[in-house]
Amino acid sequence: MELQNTPATLDAPAAAPRLEVTALSKTYGSGPNAKCVIEDLTFTVNKREVVCIVGPSGVGKTTLLKCLAGLQPATSGTAAIDGRTIDGPPPEMALVFQDYSRSLMPWLTVRKNVRLPLRHLRLPAQEMNGRIDTALAAVGLSHAAGQYPWQLSGGMQQRVAIARALAYRPEILIMDEPFASVDAQTRFELEDLCLKIRDDFGMTILVVTHDIDEAVYLSDRVVVLGAKPARVLDIVGIDLPAPRDQISTRALLEFAEQRTNVLSMIRKPA
Amino acid sequence: MNRKLTNWILGAGTPVVVVALWWVASENSTNTFFPPLNAILERFQALWLFEHFGSDVLLSLRNLVIGYALASVIGVGLGFVTALVPVIRWGLDPLIHFLRGIPPVALVPIFISLIGFGIEMRLASITLAAVFPTLIATVDGIRGVDSTLKDVSQVYRLTRTEKLAQVYLPAAGPQIASGMQVSLQVAFIVMIASEMLGSSQGIGAMTLLAQQSFMTADMWAGILLLGVIGFGANLVFEAIKNNVLAWYVGSKRLARS
Amino acid sequence: MKKNLRQMLASAGGIALVLALWQAVATGPMAGGPLPPVSLVLAQLAGLLAGGTFWAALAETLLIALAGLAAAAAAGVVLGVLIGSFEPFRYATAAVLEFLKPIPPIVILPLVVLVLGPTTQMSWFLVFFGCVLPIIMQTVAGVHDADPVTLDTARSYGLGRVEILGRVTLPSAMPFIGTAMRVAAPAALVITVVAGLLGGGPGLGLSIYQAQAGGDYPTLYAYVVVLGVLGLAFQGASRLAEGRLLHWHASYREVLNP
Repeated sequence: MELQNTPATLDAPAAAPRLEVTALSKTYGSGPNAKCVIEDLTFTVNKREVVCIVGPSGVGKTTLLKCLAGLQPATSGTAAIDGRTIDGPPPEMALVFQDYSRSLMPWLTVRKNVRLPLRHLRLPAQEMNGRIDTALAAVGLSHAAGQYPWQLSGGMQQRVAIARALAYRPEILIMDEPFASVDAQTRFELEDLCLKIRDDFGMTILVVTHDIDEAVYLSDRVVVLGAKPARVLDIVGIDLPAPRDQISTRALLEFAEQRTNVLSMIRKPA
Repeated sequence: MNRKLTNWILGAGTPVVVVALWWVASENSTNTFFPPLNAILERFQALWLFEHFGSDVLLSLRNLVIGYALASVIGVGLGFVTALVPVIRWGLDPLIHFLRGIPPVALVPIFISLIGFGIEMRLASITLAAVFPTLIATVDGIRGVDSTLKDVSQVYRLTRTEKLAQVYLPAAGPQIASGMQVSLQVAFIVMIASEMLGSSQGIGAMTLLAQQSFMTADMWAGILLLGVIGFGANLVFEAIKNNVLAWYVGSKRLARS
Repeated sequence: MKKNLRQMLASAGGIALVLALWQAVATGPMAGGPLPPVSLVLAQLAGLLAGGTFWAALAETLLIALAGLAAAAAAGVVLGVLIGSFEPFRYATAAVLEFLKPIPPIVILPLVVLVLGPTTQMSWFLVFFGCVLPIIMQTVAGVHDADPVTLDTARSYGLGRVEILGRVTLPSAMPFIGTAMRVAAPAALVITVVAGLLGGGPGLGLSIYQAQAGGDYPTLYAYVVVLGVLGLAFQGASRLAEGRLLHWHASYREVLNP
């Protein structure tokens, strides 16, 4: 499957669904000890959309992502990309793991870590190096290319994991709490990076976060999950103007309204 | 600065002092068991450099190197298979754990009974005994690869070969190296034992022969050579390990600081 | 549930396959040769277990191993604490210890047999020599690992040197010492057998040598089987002991690689 660099277009995200989740459920174990983690989740992610999934801690967001990424089979229901059911890691998808430090290979330098998925793609050396350089520059780690993960801070490790996904140029990018360990200033930069890569590469992006402000800032729509087992409480369309800007967008009245909206939905007794 | 210098002097100086003391204390010894150090050194040079070098030293070393190399390849290869194919692992597990508890040296009489007293027996003993630590360490290392790393290799759809070579092998590297270091020790021990039990050639055999003939200086010369080889082999291993596993050494150092 | 059953079946199948192969080869192509059939080995094993000489040899082996281990533990911990606590000692002994560390007891076996003869003392000394060094080095590592903050706290409370040793340093070194003992216990057994096999010291090692020298192959194999079982038992026992004594430390046990 060819990965494309679609040139920037200022169209609103097409209403064509790329990712469709239908009645997805995942239960661990069986019999009396069975644990239902996610139940009957249904939502779609359209092409070139940024969708954030929010919900209380431990509700099952990571399980959902693992099912979407094809790492685990769902117990019932389906997830599909362009109509194709997902039953294994799709080639057009990349995942940024929540446990970033364990997801980096400790025996490889930053540069080689970012290079790992590209080697598999058998790209010509020049393109490979170009992508790596671009990705590292985008996350601000060009100077650390020769260092090992254990020499970096948690936030820097997280950025390496993001750079690795970026260099892969997936069409669908899924990120599990990708900005959690980063300081506030860097977080704003990475949020804007997220929006930029959506604009530049036409990626479809799904982000799990428990930062409501971030979810509202980034998203075209927010999927709110609640209660164990996780269910979709609501899907909120975020109607803020594009392009988003850290200062002006966050100062809008609508921003506060949207934020309150989402927050109260999460806080609502089940 | 002064303290560092003192430590350095202590570190380098003590062995020198110990050897000097030994020399002086044994100078005019008539004790059969502890001949003068200079007699030992003289016999050391006479025997190993170079009269018996080809016939005995090289012989022993060759068996050690070939046996160890075979054991490493078999150990890692079989370790991979055992770790990744559940049926084989379940089948082999009890056998491996039973055999590993047998003192490697005790396998030598069995090999002597089966293959006789030749070089094949020594090589077979060394190889079989040295397989186990590497095999077990490889299985443990591969089984212990972090599940997140496995997930990463799946998400980016690495092929089976790529997974094994680029993820599993380096991840298990430190543990495999640990096992291989123990295997080296075992190979060394069995090399000596197989010679002492069933040979007239080799450093171990010559040392035992000297002991039985009460040629104590020769015996000491043999012991000294074996000690040097044991120490040297381990040193070479550590040097290679620290080079290949530089990333691991660095991360451990950081974790402990 | 199902997986466990399959696992057990596969394990049992593996053992059965090996035994069947052994029996087939021993009674078929290699009949009458040096490979005794499983049935004969088992019969011999039963005979050994019934007789008195086996148990005497076993007792001798275990006693020597334990005596050597105990002495090594005592000397090892004391020396280790000394070396670990006083920096000059550590640097002075570093070269000697590092040189002796990779040298197995078999290297000095000819000398010890010469001086002490094929006796219990010879075996005991080899066990001591083989076990004391790893115990010293692990103890040094353990002493070194004592949390400096805890040490400072103890000092600021006015605890004397000996008290700090007993209340802070030694407990923190326990996991390291425990690991060293867990590794040394089976090693003590092995060294005792080697001392018997190669040096003529009393115990199972000597029994093996005699069986092999006399061409009594079924007995030889029977003894090797016994050693295998013994090895398993020793491993299991020392793991259990370490777990019991150090369960409070198990969560952050850190072992230095040799």
